[in-house]
Amino acid sequence: MRAMQIFNSGFFWFIEGILCVVMILGLRAFMRERGIPMPAWKWVVFGVWVLFAGFTIAFVGTSLGEGEPTAATRGGLLFGLIAVIGGAGAWRALVSGRDPGERAQVTDS
Amino acid sequence: MNERKSPIREQRIVRYIVAVAILAAALTYGRTRAAPDLEPLIESIFPAAASTQQDQNVYHVYDTDDHLIGWAGLGQSGGYGGPMSVLVGIDATGTVVGVRIVEQRETPVFWSRARVPDYLRAITGSRYDEVGYDYQDIAAVTGATLSTDAVIESVRTSIADVAGVAFDVHMPLPRKPFEFGLLEIVILALFAVGIASRRLRGPKRSRVRWGAQITGLVVLGFWKESPITLTKITAILSGYLPDVRTSIAIYLLLAGFLLTTILYGRNLYCLYACPFGAAQRIVGVIGGRRLKLPPWSVRAMETARNVVVFGALFAAFLTLQPALAGYEPFAVLFSLRGTNLQWLLLFIVLVASLAIRTPWCAFFCPMRTIEVVIQDTKRWLRRKRREAAT
Repeated sequence: MRAMQIFNSGFFWFIEGILCVVMILGLRAFMRERGIPMPAWKWVVFGVWVLFAGFTIAFVGTSLGEGEPTAATRGGLLFGLIAVIGGAGAWRALVSGRDPGERAQVTDS
Repeated sequence: MNERKSPIREQRIVRYIVAVAILAAALTYGRTRAAPDLEPLIESIFPAAASTQQDQNVYHVYDTDDHLIGWAGLGQSGGYGGPMSVLVGIDATGTVVGVRIVEQRETPVFWSRARVPDYLRAITGSRYDEVGYDYQDIAAVTGATLSTDAVIESVRTSIADVAGVAFDVHMPLPRKPFEFGLLEIVILALFAVGIASRRLRGPKRSRVRWGAQITGLVVLGFWKESPITLTKITAILSGYLPDVRTSIAIYLLLAGFLLTTILYGRNLYCLYACPFGAAQRIVGVIGGRRLKLPPWSVRAMETARNVVVFGALFAAFLTLQPALAGYEPFAVLFSLRGTNLQWLLLFIVLVASLAIRTPWCAFFCPMRTIEVVIQDTKRWLRRKRREAAT
């Protein structure tokens, strides 16, 4: 169980932070490349989802670190489920507003 | 689904008959098993017990010198998964000296939450006429109300029986009120809406169905947690009929399911009332559910579902434990209770609902298997009648 202590350390939160930054930069690059507009509301939707996904990972990690595997499993499945379903909904909202010609081009390639 | 479109063959009907015969044999075997032996339980309550004499549900307990040392009352009632019986030991001074659960068939998750040992410990040491029955307060918090109600009723019945036989005191049992409330009204309304909307077409019908399903999700799901489950069906088929005064809802749901399947060919419970179906549809709208599965995989999963339902029923009948058949993850969604496997199943089903149309209904739900069996049998009988007429 000592290995699980990594989830209670600053290193774990450092990795969480890197993940958040990579996701934000990745989304920005992805949307630019495909010419999909990113108004403020989309950033808010994405931000909420990133926070929730981060919370899910943190919940599972800290539960494991505290020696609570049942809480980690059930919390991970519950919050993971909300994160996946919310992520699917958020993704549909994020890619909305794509130019139809652009969409065809992307599909062809 | 292709189950409905494929021509009905004799072979399939023979398969159904064989399956029903095997299940009937398992149930017969389960019911012929010996009743639990009470002697060791009585000895655990009265260590000095040497012999007993039965007087209906009350056992007179004697020591080695044939002196009466107390009474053990056997009380029975019906829980969520079937009958429950409790043995209450009362000594010659009228003090409860021990309580034992003789048999119970509750779902393990709910049973563990019912905190039965805490309650049994709490009443041990009380006088028989001072035993507290405020255990339901705990039950309301833990959510295992049916199990705790059954424990209370069993204890109350045992004590009343012993009081009558041993102390000549009549302890009247409280009369259960006939419970017909909002839940029952909503169930009737949902079936009525389902029947009425058969005349509607297009978006109007879709809107009505959405309204009914969301009502079902809120009332039958999150509020009352009373969808039809395989455990309830198995309990009824095993002969453990729930008390009609307190369980009208399950009778209404089952009657609605069976009647609409037989009369209309499609059960309106799944279409208009099932709370889990509604949850899947909502997730499907979020995800877009565009994935079309190849027909062979659909057939394989439907077969797997039928095998799982048969296996669950077989195990439940053989052991007379209806709770064994309950593999549905409904309680996980509506009250966050269930085994790790049910949590995982819920996760898989709802994530799959993003891409596939109502995967639980198609590939996992026991009600779908029952519906298909009824539909196939109905079509086969109709064909036979036609053939006989020509």
